[in-house]
Amino acid sequence: MATITQPVPARDEPRRPNIATGNVQLPAVKDYEQVDREIVATLHPTVAWFIGLGVAVFFLLIGISAWMYQIYSGLGVAGYNPPVMWGVYIITFVFWIGIGHAGTLISAILYLFRAGFRTTIYRCAEAMTVFAVMTAALFPILHLGRPWKFFWLVPYPNWRYIWPQFKSPLVWDVFAILTYFTISSTFLFIGLIPDIAVLRDRENISPIRKRIFSVLSLGWRNTDNEWRHFARAYLFLAAFSTPLVLSVHSVVSFDFAMALTPGWHTTIFAPYFVAGAIFSGMGMVFTIIIPLRKWFGLRHYVTINHLDAAAKLALFTSLVVGCAYMSEWFVAWFSGNEFEKAFFANRIWGQWWWASAILYTCNMVLPLSLFVQKLRRNAAWLFIISFTINIGMWFERFVIVVPSLSHEFEPWQWTSYRPTWVDYAILCGSFGWFSMWFLLFIKQLPVIAIAEVKEIVPPRLKKQHPHGVDATGRHFEYEADTPGEFA
Amino acid sequence: MRGVLGAFRELDAAVSAIEALKEKNVGAIRVYTPTPRHELEEAIGAPPSPVRRFTLIGGLLGVTFGYWIAIWVSDYWPLVVGGKPIASWVPYTVFGFEVMVLIGGLSTVVGLLINSRIPRLTMMVGYDPRFSHGDYGIWVECPPEKARTAEDLLREHGAVEVRRER
Repeated sequence: MATITQPVPARDEPRRPNIATGNVQLPAVKDYEQVDREIVATLHPTVAWFIGLGVAVFFLLIGISAWMYQIYSGLGVAGYNPPVMWGVYIITFVFWIGIGHAGTLISAILYLFRAGFRTTIYRCAEAMTVFAVMTAALFPILHLGRPWKFFWLVPYPNWRYIWPQFKSPLVWDVFAILTYFTISSTFLFIGLIPDIAVLRDRENISPIRKRIFSVLSLGWRNTDNEWRHFARAYLFLAAFSTPLVLSVHSVVSFDFAMALTPGWHTTIFAPYFVAGAIFSGMGMVFTIIIPLRKWFGLRHYVTINHLDAAAKLALFTSLVVGCAYMSEWFVAWFSGNEFEKAFFANRIWGQWWWASAILYTCNMVLPLSLFVQKLRRNAAWLFIISFTINIGMWFERFVIVVPSLSHEFEPWQWTSYRPTWVDYAILCGSFGWFSMWFLLFIKQLPVIAIAEVKEIVPPRLKKQHPHGVDATGRHFEYEADTPGEFA
Repeated sequence: MRGVLGAFRELDAAVSAIEALKEKNVGAIRVYTPTPRHELEEAIGAPPSPVRRFTLIGGLLGVTFGYWIAIWVSDYWPLVVGGKPIASWVPYTVFGFEVMVLIGGLSTVVGLLINSRIPRLTMMVGYDPRFSHGDYGIWVECPPEKARTAEDLLREHGAVEVRRER
């Protein structure tokens, strides 16, 4: 029974769905059996899937080869030129961490807000988070001259009696990212348990798969007791993930903001990074979900209304990011700091003007098209915009990292930076690594949360029950629930 | 453990059966449902989940450990940075917070596992795979002399299948 006051959705499809309720109804989904049948059907591998996996592994091998070459030859092959000692690796690290944030926003924050449009896209987004963090976590290690010593960042008792420097933002990063990865993957797995039980209980399943799913489902039996504790645990994990997502990218921003470098040393960096992260992640969600809903025949689960609501969120975060860009400009001018002013002038008119132009066009100008409802409801346009957002956000990090380091206080230090083939190969490898995990995931486990979709499908009833809301604004019993409301 | 299992196709039928069984006090009830429903929750009337206590205790232990490890290490291996105190609570709040989330989150999962009695390695009496898909099940744990009453109640409220199990 729904317990939250909310307007009753109209019987006919509304043209402008409310982003809060997100028009949660799935009119083409009639019963629980249909949900099981259609979502489980997406698990059968196809030729296109094998080709996609092959391409992903190929890109991964390119990245691995480049890394091997770099380990053999030293970090010099990666195009670092003092004082620009951070380049593509750190840019790509921040890019992938950012991608993960939208997944947590959709799966945890929107869960707490009871946003209906989250239900059918959150599983993809949450898996995207886990794989994006797995990808991001590689880059600080790739950036080490001796990557096999990475564990020195972790505080552990050792014979040298030395410990990490706890006032260093790099150690904060280690704690933040390890916590983020652990909690995100736990959150993903806990949400999967009831769905794995559905896979386990199918007829005509091979004994080996049944055994694997039996182990993974932890013997889940759908009892009222299990659901009661599950709902509570899921709620608390969402409540932990919400501030976590804000803290992780704030900590990543401190890697920059704690330094005195022009363009970095500013208090706006934490919220600016968090908004940018969510914005970039929304782009990646569209990049993933739009082809998936087409290839898997799930357009009646991830409807245009869902995309419309998610596009509004992308538009909102684009406006926040745009506001942060303008604030940076204002602060540089208002501070009266000559170095800061010179740096920001260099960003626009200096050697990296083209990177700034890409950034502002992709992140501020093109997303304004999402004010137009027709474009928000056009999957092809959203797919195109998602690419420009991904490109724009990668260049945002480029503009943060490279111009600042190449244009510091002393003019004799000013230099240039040119990524080498090793940088590009490892960048490609990161996309291969991410895609490989994601492709493996979508054919082994459901990309749409079966149990949660069942929550919003009207249950089968023996008698007619009143429809609508009572005098207090609450839904009558036996209506489709608002997602996540059970918790 | 012996009792009676009733399988229902409809949610309202299952809810009315639970209410009737509770009214007659036939025995302990366990409900199987493919997705959580408030109607079932209210009919069963179970107390709030104690998982929250695990979360609270884990979170408090985590925040304590996070601050402690940062302060202890700094005292043990003192490095003065920017003239700031050796044990600086402001940057160490990052560790306090992150470890609170980490231990609090993992404790929540432990609370879920302990209270739900999972991982479960054995079969559960009364469970049927159809309860993962679309049907509702009511398992009534009762002595043989009350089994007949339970069966009658389950059938009366629309169970599509009723069987005794042990």
